[in-house]
Amino acid sequence: MSELDIELVCVTKSFGAISVVRDIDLQIPKGEFVSILGPSGCGKTTTLNMIAGFNQPSRGDIRIRGRSQVNVPPEGRNIGLVFQNYALFPHMTVAENVAFGLKMKRTPKIEIASIVQSSLRSVHLEQLADRYPKELSGGQQQRVALARALAPRPSVLLLDEPLSNLDLKLRESMRGELKDIQRELNMTFVYVTHDQEEAMAMSDRIVVMSNGVIAQQGKPEALYRHPVSTFVADFIGRSNIISVERMVKRSGGYEVLVTGSEITLRAAVAPAQATPQYGVIRLEDVLVLGDTPLAAQDNLNVLEGRLDRVTNLGASLELSIQISSGLSLYAAIRSAEVGILPATGKPIRLGIDPSAVTLLNE
Amino acid sequence: MNRLISFSFWFSLVLVLAFITLPLLVVVAASLSPTADVTFRPSAWTLRWYQDLISQRWLAPFALSVKIAIAVSLISGIIGTLAAYIVAFERIPGGSAVMAALLSPLSVPQIVKGVAIVLFLSVLGLQPLLGTPSLIAAHCVLALPFVIRMAATAIANFDGNLDRAGQVLGASRWQRAQYILLPAIKPGVLSGMTFAFIISFNNIPLSVFLVRPGDTTLPITVINYLEYSLDPVLAAVNVASMIFILFVILAFEKFGGFSAQLHGGSK
Repeated sequence: MSELDIELVCVTKSFGAISVVRDIDLQIPKGEFVSILGPSGCGKTTTLNMIAGFNQPSRGDIRIRGRSQVNVPPEGRNIGLVFQNYALFPHMTVAENVAFGLKMKRTPKIEIASIVQSSLRSVHLEQLADRYPKELSGGQQQRVALARALAPRPSVLLLDEPLSNLDLKLRESMRGELKDIQRELNMTFVYVTHDQEEAMAMSDRIVVMSNGVIAQQGKPEALYRHPVSTFVADFIGRSNIISVERMVKRSGGYEVLVTGSEITLRAAVAPAQATPQYGVIRLEDVLVLGDTPLAAQDNLNVLEGRLDRVTNLGASLELSIQISSGLSLYAAIRSAEVGILPATGKPIRLGIDPSAVTLLNE
Repeated sequence: MNRLISFSFWFSLVLVLAFITLPLLVVVAASLSPTADVTFRPSAWTLRWYQDLISQRWLAPFALSVKIAIAVSLISGIIGTLAAYIVAFERIPGGSAVMAALLSPLSVPQIVKGVAIVLFLSVLGLQPLLGTPSLIAAHCVLALPFVIRMAATAIANFDGNLDRAGQVLGASRWQRAQYILLPAIKPGVLSGMTFAFIISFNNIPLSVFLVRPGDTTLPITVINYLEYSLDPVLAAVNVASMIFILFVILAFEKFGGFSAQLHGGSK
């Protein structure tokens, strides 16, 4: 196993009687891009602030490169931090901003100049070295903030929703750049965000937080394919979450009854507990059965319903289908497949592979 | 309707400005009159009253007032910024009580304060401090609330993330105060220091108790002169003071004071 850069051991943070973060255990190996993902108020920023040293944990230990940081102030931790609002020093030029950390470390002047230059080059801002922050666009300011954080060569870079003040196009191109920089420097990145797409796009690992605890952590595709709770299923990607009851074992799988209906669903994978409450199905796993030969439908769950609404999202279409009075499903198909759809209000037949049905308890 | 509101706004603005500036114009006119009586419709123009100013009688008090005002501006600037830093930035416990105590001189009449300071000095046998030292100290007490208020407001508008950014970049508390906080609040501090300078330079109610006979500040000299004669020399003194204060404000402005403050400073 590779060496650990950051370790959180049973970390709890309470303000008065309220615990904002409870018993967080987290190991981040060197060079990994980890996202802490969750809705606002889930404790992700508090966790980041504890790693940075602005908050002290009420209980537990934080180790950076194996050393406990409990009594180390932020200025002694050798970490980088990129803020959501950039937090550039307004009275300093771009070059002076980037040089600040090096100056504090008493780096020789000649060395500072060359590091500043190479840092600015790596974020494509070498021509703007003598500008002041307020003369730059939001995207440029965020690049300066990144260059400033990276210039003193911290062992870990923390990023607190760094892209959320930028517009969509810029956000998407910055994602790629951040990932490239991280890979090039082989530096540990801890990225806090509420945007699951961002987390999916960049991370080696995602830590989903909810109400101050870790709901699930793992590789992005594992979280997407195998969520352990409806919270995670709902937060990452889009899902149909169906209330189910009465599971029975059948040959080659399990069968559950959809609550409040006569409909049964077959699932291929056994749930963690014997009495699952929910069935989760990703939108793209709900197939529209048009001219599919009947033989191919044999091992699918087949549902009859009525097409309620079609929402055009450009590349894909989102369908809303009423199955029975208590059950409606969403499905996503490629726009090119629009030909297989009946008119809205007309009957439609859906197929769901049993392996795409995840049974969950919470 | 909108036009009516706009008209009333501009009309009242002009009235207010006229009320503020016209008396000053009268003084300017009087200072240029050749006759000995003070008039604002002089028959001819002369600068001879200004020549009278170039004498020890007026230059010595002016020099004393400037010396005291510079000292007050510097001392209250430093103490006020430190106080605002500790109360508004470090947020020491009981900070609001400290703040209230620091601002309390505002609520005591200056005459009362003047009497109190004289009594205080004589009870302690510190009469030798009357004159310049006590003037500087008393004016500082008067000016401090203004400096503290301005500095504290600037600190309240300071983005705490800038301090945190400095912290993770390895800056110590002192380095952060020096390189990040101070440049950001400089316009506020300088405005406070400008106020301190003017408050000290123009002060009468406190100074009247504390000056030494024969070694008075400019406003006290004016008051004393006024008791025996009223002639255009006084108008000339006032115009000269006004011009001097204008230059002081411009000088502070040059360092990045007022207008930067008005335009939201460096934020």
